[in-house]
Amino acid sequence: MRVPGDPAAAVLLCGEIRTCLLQTGRSLPASAARDLLRLRAGERVRVSERPNLHVVSPDLLTGVDCRLPTGTGARIRAVGTVTARAVLTEGRVLQATARFGCPGGGPDTRRPWGSYLVRPGVVEPLGRLPVRAVADGVLADVRRPGELDLGAVAERLLGEVQRHPLLDQRVPFKSRRTRLRWAALRAPDGEGPSLGRFTLAEDGLRTVELRLPEGTDPAACASLCEDLALHDWLLTTLVRLVERSRLGSADGHEAVMALRPAVDHLLHLWMPRARVDTTLAPLWEVLEREPGFTRQWGTLVQRIRDQLALQAIPLLREALTAR
Amino acid sequence: MIVFAASDKGGTGRSVTSANLAYRRALAGDDVCYLDFDFGSPTAAAVFDVPGAVRGVAEGGLHSHLQGRNTEPVRIDVWAETEHEVLRHRPAGAGSLVLLPGDRSGGEFTVGREALRRCVDLFLRLNGEFDVVVVDLSAGRSYAIDLALEATSRPEMRSVPARWLVYHRWTRQHVIAAAGLVFGGRGIVAGGVARGHDEERLRGAIRFVRAAVPDPESPLWSQVPPAQSAWMRKCDQDLEVLAADLDIGYTRLLGSVPLEPVLQWREQLITDEDVLASRIANQETLQALEELAERLTGDEPWGQP
Repeated sequence: MRVPGDPAAAVLLCGEIRTCLLQTGRSLPASAARDLLRLRAGERVRVSERPNLHVVSPDLLTGVDCRLPTGTGARIRAVGTVTARAVLTEGRVLQATARFGCPGGGPDTRRPWGSYLVRPGVVEPLGRLPVRAVADGVLADVRRPGELDLGAVAERLLGEVQRHPLLDQRVPFKSRRTRLRWAALRAPDGEGPSLGRFTLAEDGLRTVELRLPEGTDPAACASLCEDLALHDWLLTTLVRLVERSRLGSADGHEAVMALRPAVDHLLHLWMPRARVDTTLAPLWEVLEREPGFTRQWGTLVQRIRDQLALQAIPLLREALTAR
Repeated sequence: MIVFAASDKGGTGRSVTSANLAYRRALAGDDVCYLDFDFGSPTAAAVFDVPGAVRGVAEGGLHSHLQGRNTEPVRIDVWAETEHEVLRHRPAGAGSLVLLPGDRSGGEFTVGREALRRCVDLFLRLNGEFDVVVVDLSAGRSYAIDLALEATSRPEMRSVPARWLVYHRWTRQHVIAAAGLVFGGRGIVAGGVARGHDEERLRGAIRFVRAAVPDPESPLWSQVPPAQSAWMRKCDQDLEVLAADLDIGYTRLLGSVPLEPVLQWREQLITDEDVLASRIANQETLQALEELAERLTGDEPWGQP
């Protein structure tokens, strides 16, 4: 999606994001985070400290020549490169994103490798691209052998980071990683960006379907989806921590102790749209209305704080009578 | 914490006892994951009574994950998918209980660098998600044991607590075989040291579990003639001496599981229901399993302050 009317412009953007807790006891400060994500020597790591600490690795390219996943089972061979990057938020939550853009069609035979390399993050089909079928295939749960698997690229990158000697593997609480798959189709001419659907499956898989105007920067789309994935993971993880603490049924003190990691490591991370391109920000509004991410987060946080306050009352009384 | 379950011989109840320990830990509130690394014959799913995976899954299991054929190994939520009457109702306060089955047509494979990397990544990932990760290794000195030793020797795994359970029956042959599996020339300790493990540390992380132990004091044997009773006691004592001589005596013992028909024949999880309501299992067995599960994650039985 570069110059409007460009025949090589992508008509479909696809990606997969894996989000998890960084496997270390304490969140990493900016300097350590920079070292962690310097995945290739000589390439720049982007660090931004406002409004929160956000560190982005250089883009890594993976060459591919394989079939695209399709909802119909059609065999579409495609050649090009997949872009992957790792993102660390507040030195605590790690994400790996793998993505590619696809033009509407390409020559029927494979071109010399050099002509693919000059367009990083573009995977070109041999022949015409059945956009709908490929979008469905990318969002589907299963991958057939031999199909392009963005999850594998993201997973490999995540593994590389999590194995880093800077990390002590002593996580402050147990949590599950989530997978978010997205497919962005082109919006009809003259229309703004829109969110088709956002689904949550049982096993930590989320799918997002978007429509974006021609010319939207693929990196901006990736940032939006990373932001969605991050907040979905935060919410999922906090819900689970509250559930496991048995707040409301267990002994109040025990519940509060079980919730401590949330207070120490999660509550300050909520900051939707912190790095979302202004043209794409309205998509967040849709999710805020339904299902209402921030509303649910706010309620959970309030519940935790109320419990903490309740637990503090007897302590206060003790302190007063002891005087 | 990662718990490796090994045994020298088959028929030690390694899978069924380990599965019971996983179940007990989950009941106690831990998030537990059970990995079927018995590459030759993955059968752990049968113990959890999960349909469709009883002899391993057709595709997408652990073997093919380690060989790079699938990114996401199949995960089975035991509480949700079991056909076991009692297990289907997850008790309040229980942790998750997840099974990662093997592939039906698995078989052993050699450990290459890529398989090792995937194995380390898998362990690190599961350690970040679960309190207890039980890895059921095949019987005997297998590739699965090599892989486990190799993976845990990696620097990135150093701060992930790893414990080894070695199961054996309470017979002369089994005691000798279990000691050989651990301390022999090609044993776990030697194999670990060759891969860079610290010998003292590795030895300290290994405990033995005696399975199918007939208890001479049990009411079951209270009616036998005095001569037989005395003979049983003598055998038991001789075995204790042998075990101590081979350095698998009390200090290295995590616990014993009594001879129990339900474990032997049904090869399934023993629920409180089996003991209290239908009474097909013995109270002693349940107690032994509970105690083992507690000692499994405790620090004191492992010589840690």
